[in-house]
Amino acid sequence: MSKPDLDIFRDVLGVDLDPDRLQQNLEAFSDILSEIRKLRDLNLTDTHPVVVFDPTYGYSKEVRGDR
Amino acid sequence: MTAELMDRTIGELSVDLRSGTLSPVELIHAALDRIEKYDSKLKSFVFVSETALDQAKQAEREIRENNVRGPLHGIPIGVKDNYLTHDMPTTNGTKAPGIDYPNRDATVVKRLRDAGAVLIGKTRMHEFAWGTVTPPSCNPWNLDRVVGGSSGGSGAAVVAGLCTAALGSDTGGSIRIPSSICGAVGMKSTFGRVSRDGLLPHTWSLDVAGPLTKSVGDAALMLNVLAGYDPLDPASCNRRTDDYTQTMGQSVKGMRIGVCRNHFFPRTQEAVANAVNKAVQELAEEGMTVQDFELPNLEYGLGAIYAVELPSATAYHDMWMKAGKTPHYEPDVRMLVEVGRFVTGTDYLKGEQFRQLLIDDFRRVFEDVDVVIVPTTALTGWEHGAETLQIAGKTESVLAASWRLTYPFNLTGLPSVSVPCGFDPDGMPIGMQIVGRPFAESTILRVADAYERTHDWVSKRPPL
Repeated sequence: MSKPDLDIFRDVLGVDLDPDRLQQNLEAFSDILSEIRKLRDLNLTDTHPVVVFDPTYGYSKEVRGDR
Repeated sequence: MTAELMDRTIGELSVDLRSGTLSPVELIHAALDRIEKYDSKLKSFVFVSETALDQAKQAEREIRENNVRGPLHGIPIGVKDNYLTHDMPTTNGTKAPGIDYPNRDATVVKRLRDAGAVLIGKTRMHEFAWGTVTPPSCNPWNLDRVVGGSSGGSGAAVVAGLCTAALGSDTGGSIRIPSSICGAVGMKSTFGRVSRDGLLPHTWSLDVAGPLTKSVGDAALMLNVLAGYDPLDPASCNRRTDDYTQTMGQSVKGMRIGVCRNHFFPRTQEAVANAVNKAVQELAEEGMTVQDFELPNLEYGLGAIYAVELPSATAYHDMWMKAGKTPHYEPDVRMLVEVGRFVTGTDYLKGEQFRQLLIDDFRRVFEDVDVVIVPTTALTGWEHGAETLQIAGKTESVLAASWRLTYPFNLTGLPSVSVPCGFDPDGMPIGMQIVGRPFAESTILRVADAYERTHDWVSKRPPL
C-alpha cells in the first residue's frame, strides 16, 4: 500500500495502522462490507433511525448524583 | 447429595430453604464442591468469590430469623465478568494490561444481593463480549465442543450445576446462543426492561442484561428481581413490571404462533429445524394455532447489525486503541474492534434506520400472532477451533452462522427466551426462541413454560 493510500486511511477514517495490519483488516472486512453494501442499496429516506435521545436525561437527581 | 442439590431449580430449592430443611451454607458448599471438582474441565469461572460462604451464612441467619427476602434468598448465582461487582474483580474477559474497572455493584448485581442471592463468582466470557466461542470454556455435554458465547461460562456453569443460575448479557445473541448450545434457558428481555447500569458496554443501543437458568420458572423468578426502571441506565424504560411467575402453569389454548420460514430455517442444521418444527407441532396439539410467514427484509439484517455494532464497539475502545492496548487483545477481537473504523457514519445511520423497518415488519406480524417461534442457533455446539462450518451444504463462518438467528431480536429490541427443545444425533442440545411483542415477557414465558412442562429437558444433566 502506498504512502498516499495510508494517509487517506489515517486522515479520513482515523485508521493508523502499519500497511500489513491494514491489509489484513481490509481482507477481514471484505465479507462484512458485502453485507453493508446491501444496506446501502435500500431507500430509507423517510425512515427515522431508531436511536433518539431524551433531552431531559441528565437533569434527574439520581443521574446527576452519579457523575 | 451435592450433585442432586445442584441439579435442582431455584423454585425447588427455595421451598426447602424457606422451610429450613435446607441451609444456604449446605447449598453453597455443594456449589463450591462442584466448582472444585469440575471447573478444571469446564473453565466456566474466572473468579470464585471469597465471601460466598459468608454471604450464605448471612442468608442462613436471616432465614432462621424469619427474615426471608424472597425466592432467591440463599441461591448461588454466577455473575458474568462484564458486570461490575464491589467484592470481586471485573476483567470484561480481557487480559490486556492496564484496563481496569471500578469496584462497585452494577444495578442488577445490587438487586440480586438485595434479594438475598449468594453471588458465587464471576463467569468466563468471550473477550469484551465480542464472540460466540468463549475460549477456553468447554461444553458440559462434550468437552471437545464450544459453549457458545459471549456468556459461555454462565451457560456451562448453570447446566453443569456449578451454580443455580447466572447473569449474562446479550448484544447479538450472547445470552441465547450459549443457552441453546449448552442446554439452558436464556432470557433476553425487551431492550430497556432490565438495567444495564454497571454492565460494561458493547453496543449501547443493543445491549440487554438478563439471566441464564435451568428452567423457565427460574427465568421468571430471576426476571422478577432484575426487571424495573433504573434512572442510571439512559435506555431504561419507566414502565410497570409484571409478576413474571403469574403466567406459569397457564394454558396456551387459543394462543397464536407465527413461524418465520425464511432466514431462520433454510440454512439451519436438519436436526435443529426438525426439533423446532416438532415443538411447534406439539404446541399446536396444546391448542395453539400456527401460521407461517416470511420477512424478506431480514436479508439486510446482517449488514445492519455489523453497521451498528462495529463502530459502537470501536467508539467504546477508541481510547484504548490510541493508547496501544489493542495489540494485547485476542486476535479475533482486535480485528473486529479495529475494523469498526471502516464503517462510515452513513452506514451506521442506515443500520439504525433499517432497524425501524424491521420493527415495523414484526409489529405487523404481531397483529396476527402472540408469539413467534424460530430456532435459536442454526447449529449445535461445534468443535473447538472451527472457523468455518458446513451448514446445509454451504460453508459459513462460525460468527455469521452462530448469531444469524438471534441478532434480529436485538435489532428490533423484542423479548426472546431460548428454551431447550431436544438433542442432535451427537447428543448436543438444541434451543428454540419464543419471541413476543415489546414488554410481553409474561406471554413468552407462558408459552415457554407450557412447552417445558410437557418435556423432561429440565431434568436432563450432562454426564460429567
